[in-house]
Amino acid sequence: MSIPKLEFPPFHLPPEAEALRGEVRQFLKETLPGLKSEDRFSSWNTRSSDFSKALGKRGWIGITWPKQYGGSERSFLDRYVVTEELLGNGAPAGAHWVADRQSGPLLLRFGSEEQRQAILPKITAGECYFSIGMSEPDSGSDLASVRTRAEPVPGGFRVNGTKVWTSGAHHNHYCITLVRTSGQHGDRHKGLSQLLVDLKTPGVTIRPIINLAGRHDWNEVTFSDCFIPEECLIGNEGDGWLQVTSELAFERSGPERFMQNFHVLRELVRVLGRQPAGRATSILGRIVARLWTLRQMSVAVAGMMQGGKSPAIEAALVKDLGTIYQQDLPEIARVLAESDATTEDDMADFLDVAQYATMMAPSYTIQGGTTQVLRGIVARGLGLR
Amino acid sequence: MDHDTREMLLDTAGRFFAERCGKDIVNGVEKGVWPADFWKEIEEMGLPLTAVPEDKGGVGGTIADLMAVLRLAGANAVPVPLAETALANLLVAAAGGTPGPGPATIVLGNLSVDNGRLSGKVDRVPFASVADRFVAVANSGGKVVVAVVDKANAKVTAAPSHAGEPYGTVAFDKAACAFSGASAVSAERALELAALARAMQMAGAADKVLATTVEYSKQRVQFGRSISTFQAIQHMLAELASCVAATIASAEAASRDADEGGLTDGGSFSIAAAKTQASDFAQRICAISHQSMGAMGFTHEHILHHYTRRLWVWRRDFGSESFWGEKIGAAVAKAGPQALWPALTSSRYAA
Repeated sequence: MSIPKLEFPPFHLPPEAEALRGEVRQFLKETLPGLKSEDRFSSWNTRSSDFSKALGKRGWIGITWPKQYGGSERSFLDRYVVTEELLGNGAPAGAHWVADRQSGPLLLRFGSEEQRQAILPKITAGECYFSIGMSEPDSGSDLASVRTRAEPVPGGFRVNGTKVWTSGAHHNHYCITLVRTSGQHGDRHKGLSQLLVDLKTPGVTIRPIINLAGRHDWNEVTFSDCFIPEECLIGNEGDGWLQVTSELAFERSGPERFMQNFHVLRELVRVLGRQPAGRATSILGRIVARLWTLRQMSVAVAGMMQGGKSPAIEAALVKDLGTIYQQDLPEIARVLAESDATTEDDMADFLDVAQYATMMAPSYTIQGGTTQVLRGIVARGLGLR
Repeated sequence: MDHDTREMLLDTAGRFFAERCGKDIVNGVEKGVWPADFWKEIEEMGLPLTAVPEDKGGVGGTIADLMAVLRLAGANAVPVPLAETALANLLVAAAGGTPGPGPATIVLGNLSVDNGRLSGKVDRVPFASVADRFVAVANSGGKVVVAVVDKANAKVTAAPSHAGEPYGTVAFDKAACAFSGASAVSAERALELAALARAMQMAGAADKVLATTVEYSKQRVQFGRSISTFQAIQHMLAELASCVAATIASAEAASRDADEGGLTDGGSFSIAAAKTQASDFAQRICAISHQSMGAMGFTHEHILHHYTRRLWVWRRDFGSESFWGEKIGAAVAKAGPQALWPALTSSRYAA
């Protein structure tokens, strides 16, 4: 029998990465209490430009990038440690998150020298933020069906179309936008390109899309005869699909896919008290074991990436397991807290946290690739399609 | 052992299990037939002595070497007490004794040694009915000892496991000890090592379940095409792969941590987490594989049950997910919310 092995070889983060962890913890201990928190459910979608700038000062945004662009030329594993410490400590890292995770790396890999010099130092300083311009009203999981068109005109492109679910576009500076530069709607992967769009460009209209929890994270971004100069084309015209796929690999593999609602678990530990009943204790331990396993797998993926591999299937698998864990967590926590919390005050507060986490939970298995898309990828890895 | 030696050992053991541990042997054990030749070959390969030092007549491998062998044993439903004997030999050697030949098992529970005699009773002892000797970790006047008792001096009440393996209740009534020595590890640690062994066997079995199910789905034709081409099946198998990969990843991480941290306490937290995880995922793994393979996989004729039934039994052996989960949960609760993240990143119980 020959099926591809889905192994996650145990991997140790190296001593220099562990040393960096200590520095990051110290920094967060000093920085976080001073920040005005707009949001007690802090995670990677909570923004604070003050925080991003402070982090940038330490050299911890774009940490792997070349020094000439403001990076620190440290390893991918150092970046992993910074990322998971931000999540584990509930830092409001949302402003720079996408730029650090995928937009910057995309520009580094495919962008022009001019684009890199203009943009990357601002990202590493924690001053320049990005949105993702992929989905459209008729293109979600089927990204290759995008309709937004960039028609070549003298000196650039005229862009018409609509992007949706564009997180943070009302705050951010740029949106890397997937557009069709040639061919027809049905041409699928051919004729797609990526444009670096300044969100202040005339012809760009940003309207809020409020989510079910009443939050304004998403936007609809409309382009009406919007002129984008040719120097804003990222990479080669027609290479958009290849580029966007590499971007999605960055988007899927990180610890934010199982650490997004870590605060729920920490709050649960708080309300259960120091000596919960046996049944509650064992369920708590089982959740912790599940999270520990996810982290082992995610660190293993980071190790593979540092070793020059591209573990796309493994990353999809971790995101699938991780987001389902995140979806289960508020439910398990709520039921446990209702039976085993120690005080009434704690309960009221905790149920608020759990209720909010429950409302956010459906998004985990949709954003960055739905469960079904991910399982398709894993099935392909198993040789089933 | 060095990397090449280990690869060679695993390659040899893997091929040996695949060739020799057929359906007849596994089904035979369930009918009460002891596969004496198969066991003899296992001994000739030195597998029960994998983690025993060379000066004690062993192979001189590490804990991780032994655990890697046990994962292969799990992947072939090896129905003899290889894990139990190898752990027994390891414990005896570490207590200053010399491992003996023949199948053995470990007895962990409420046991005491007084004046060189062992007393106590333990349920669900794996392979109790076929063991030549019992290796107990017992309390002797406040000290932990490893005591070896020949089968003639033990009372065994057979209670085969639901996987058809010869488990049973073992009672010692002032039983004479063939050997007794100060244990190098605590009773809790002995249980951890046994739990790690089961987690690795479960990883192997889970891997085999996945391979079997994927292969079947490619060959089984319904509605004019192989069922692996149906999206419903693909998504089920992708979920199965996730559960299996998580089981393997957690067991392998625990094995590494146990190895690096040393015999007496290495990887304590990781082992608890891995056994919890393996036991927790076992049901989903069994459920999806059986659903995918339909009536065929539910027959005694097919080999799938050699693995799914073992997963169902092994998840209870040496501490279930409830047992280990409670251990982790109690430590997490006691240390409080701020200690949770540092504990997770260091794979340790918070101080």
